[in-house]
Amino acid sequence: MPRDARILGIESSCDETAAAVVGNGRTILSSVVASQIDVHRKYGGVVPELASREHLRRIVPVVREALDQSGLTLADVDAIAVTRGPGLIGSLLVGVTFGKALAQAKAKPLIAVNHLEGHVRAVVVEALGAGQAPELPAVCLIVSGGHTVLYSVEQDEPGAIEAAPFRYARIGQTRDDAAGEAYDKVAKMLALGYPGGPVIDKLAAQGDPSAVHFGEPHMKGNPYDFSFSGIKTAVLYHLRAHPELELESRTRQAALEQGKRRAAELLPLCGPHTLGLLASFQRAVVTNLVAKTLAAAQQWAARSVLVSGGVAANRELRETFAAEAKRRGLAVFFPSLALSTDNAAMIAAAAYPRLLAGELTGDDLNAEAVLPLA
Amino acid sequence: MPEEKWETSSAEETTELGRQIASRLRAPVLVFLTGELGAGKTTLTKGIISGLGAAREEDVTSPTFTLVHVFHNHQTVYHVDLYRITNFHDLETLGLEDVFDRPAVVIVEWAEKFTLRADWPVVRIHLEHAGEDQRRIRLEDSAGVLAVKDPRQEKY
Repeated sequence: MPRDARILGIESSCDETAAAVVGNGRTILSSVVASQIDVHRKYGGVVPELASREHLRRIVPVVREALDQSGLTLADVDAIAVTRGPGLIGSLLVGVTFGKALAQAKAKPLIAVNHLEGHVRAVVVEALGAGQAPELPAVCLIVSGGHTVLYSVEQDEPGAIEAAPFRYARIGQTRDDAAGEAYDKVAKMLALGYPGGPVIDKLAAQGDPSAVHFGEPHMKGNPYDFSFSGIKTAVLYHLRAHPELELESRTRQAALEQGKRRAAELLPLCGPHTLGLLASFQRAVVTNLVAKTLAAAQQWAARSVLVSGGVAANRELRETFAAEAKRRGLAVFFPSLALSTDNAAMIAAAAYPRLLAGELTGDDLNAEAVLPLA
Repeated sequence: MPEEKWETSSAEETTELGRQIASRLRAPVLVFLTGELGAGKTTLTKGIISGLGAAREEDVTSPTFTLVHVFHNHQTVYHVDLYRITNFHDLETLGLEDVFDRPAVVIVEWAEKFTLRADWPVVRIHLEHAGEDQRRIRLEDSAGVLAVKDPRQEKY
């Protein structure tokens, strides 16, 4: 019987400052996320210096708010968990330094968490909340602006899934751009604002996904690797071959500058050609992600498929995964929107099995920009 | 000013060209890559970094999100991407000064965004789209630091 532990999680790897309190790796007592999207919007992406400055400004109120919402004080918390990497080094440092100081001042155990493991645990927390538990072994696709990577996930020891350490092996990853990065870059080319994913997802639903043909990326080597650089370039070529789309882009740019950035506001400024291009782009990206993940699931004899990270919020990705997995008799699990994007509940949840295993970290903990999970 | 030009007709050829260039690079050196989206900067970098033995080709990915990747295997190689950096202040916070602590190969994508100064010699490589999979690649070695090319390796 695992012992009771309420863990305060802190996450600051990119552009969200987040804190959460999670009980026994499964019950979210609070989860607070301060997004910096507005701060970074005019730059079309996360600006590192701005990001660390914003983290500094927000981390104290965010942690305080998470404690308040959980009805606990710092004294009631059993351990502190913090994201060690991967991410933007300046951003990570804010969370790591704050977590270390807090743990030291309050004499609490400190646990370092890999952000990617957090994304895996986010799916588990969500499933447990819905009264389900994903059966292992599983394959997990983590897909976001910074990552596109496929892992196998196994549990060595019997026991409750939220308390058991996982063993990971990397099956494949992107060789160039992350899928979310491709969305952001295509959104930039077509003047659709930042972040690109949610807007393109909504607009793509209005277009013909067979309008533009994008070839499969031809890759040698690991068949489970991804590549999204080619499709980004193909969109660029398409735009060059169709200069008539330029005028629309300029109109949208003007709308964005007036603060009109919702999909509903941009939709009237997109003709069928643009919508078809977006629908075809999204179809190509989604088909690729789903096909490789499900092929890996079969190869690794996975019992479930876990999909996590910011792009896991994509409507077409969810629908396609659900339909294709069902056809194959596989269970597929997604986190809710709040747990798909960066958050600290997943960090606190990932820390729980490590706390039980006594995997604590000292005050020599350092942030790591590059930190493979496996 | 020594200048070399190539035309490649696939991503594989661009990567292979990167490997050839790598065999002529000696740290400390800065490699500035310029060219628009999709021109092949990361693809060429895969060749350079794998050619230097610092990482496997498939482990070299776009640093657009994390901005600086560092590889320590065999020799130290930095892979920097300035795509999202908009001003000098941000550039200064990347911690690039640590990069110059000891001799390394430093590859910078989107180098045209800033006038970058360093004490190390610079090799400039410009990549251009030349139709579907074709790329025109131009190298300027104004400091004359590239080792003499081995004609047996010259393929493109």
